[in-house]
Amino acid sequence: MLLRSIQKYFNFVKSGLGIWLTLLFITNPALADEIVQVQITQPYIELHSGPAGGFPVIHVAAKKEWITVLKRRTNWFKVETNKGVQGWVKQEALHLTQSSTGEAVKLADGSFESFAQRDFEFGALGGSFEGVPSMTVFADWVATANLIAGISVTQALGNLSENQFFLVRVQHTAFPEWRLSPYVTLGAGKIRTKPRANLVQSGDETRTSDLLAAGLGLRYYIAQNFMLKLEYQHLQALTDRDENEDLEQWKLGFAVFF
Amino acid sequence: MEIGIRSFFLGLVCTLLSFSLFAQLSEQESEQETEQSVIQPSVERRDINEANIDSENFEFGMLVGVISIEDFSSSMVLGVRAAYHINEDFFVEATYGQAEAGETSFEVLSGGAPFLTEAERDYRYYNVSLGYNLNGETFFSDRWVFNSATYITLGAGSTEFGGDERFTLSLGAGYRLLLTDFFALHINMKDHLFNSELIGEEKTTHNIEYGLGATFFF
Repeated sequence: MLLRSIQKYFNFVKSGLGIWLTLLFITNPALADEIVQVQITQPYIELHSGPAGGFPVIHVAAKKEWITVLKRRTNWFKVETNKGVQGWVKQEALHLTQSSTGEAVKLADGSFESFAQRDFEFGALGGSFEGVPSMTVFADWVATANLIAGISVTQALGNLSENQFFLVRVQHTAFPEWRLSPYVTLGAGKIRTKPRANLVQSGDETRTSDLLAAGLGLRYYIAQNFMLKLEYQHLQALTDRDENEDLEQWKLGFAVFF
Repeated sequence: MEIGIRSFFLGLVCTLLSFSLFAQLSEQESEQETEQSVIQPSVERRDINEANIDSENFEFGMLVGVISIEDFSSSMVLGVRAAYHINEDFFVEATYGQAEAGETSFEVLSGGAPFLTEAERDYRYYNVSLGYNLNGETFFSDRWVFNSATYITLGAGSTEFGGDERFTLSLGAGYRLLLTDFFALHINMKDHLFNSELIGEEKTTHNIEYGLGATFFF
């Protein structure tokens, strides 16, 4: 009897769960029937077998056809026609469609126009720090068209010592609308210098100092979310010794923006 | 009781499916009737914008392989790999890997006097590379076709080995097989070049790594 009532209770819970799940399925718009669709306004657009221009065209979708946009990779979009054919269209082709509200589709494409509206930059630079090879990675926030704030981490590995430093920086551009644009940068941070393991016996030891930096640079917008940076930095390490240490760094690298 | 509930749900699912089927049919009908109308009543379309399209430009995964550490025999290497695809041709890749170096032939033959301590034998590297894709397709059979890419990378980073960190250049080549749109298998080879004076005079060492990887796009 007890067993039976437990089973009854169990079934009740199960059915409750089932109904709840069913309701969830019906009410959740993402699972149900809300889809991103666009309608082709030009004579046709081509569907490729993969997300690059070199992949062959496997299907052609005609004017007035609705296509569902499934996902994006770089500037390619995976779409499905209403006949169920899946393929990749490039962004220029997607811009030959209109949205459900009848407006022409226009998405950020990494053009120079969208470069002006970027929020973040990430990049890596390689160069020379006091004559030894250096590597820098940075993340910047584009506060205004002219002003950028960010952080950079550099590692310079020489024959005598290993240097690591980080800087919190601001960067100012007077001509943000130029493709090739000069900028100035100021920063402050810390530097850690560790002598090579085979030199430790000579009495040197790891030291950390405050660091100030001023620099001049050029950035060049290439294409598609991509830019080049060339920068010269003069650094001053505020050491415990009588004299501060003046340091120089040259670097060249690339950045992507979002 | 069980069967009752099951048939209830089966009925429910059938009803729902028939609704959607009916909706599709009526949609097609209305499409024929009013070809002029842009917005069709039964499908709720969201407006297209950057936020509601799933963008898969990042790739993240693990790698496992063998690295030949110059003068210190070969060891297994384990690592992680992250990449950002800038466009169809170029990507930026960051890798971190670690291995434990073996013994030099001198250490093995002399049977004593180790060059490095256990901690100094840990080999760790990171690098940031720019990669270029040679996109293509791989045909395993007539019907079994996958998108793939052969890629080359050029990068720089650092290697920590023998108590020191060394500036390291890395040259690589690899092959990415996309089993689905978001899951890929990699075969890759990378040469890590750095200067070392662990064995006497300073020289440029070539540390060649080859391995397998699996990555997800998200």
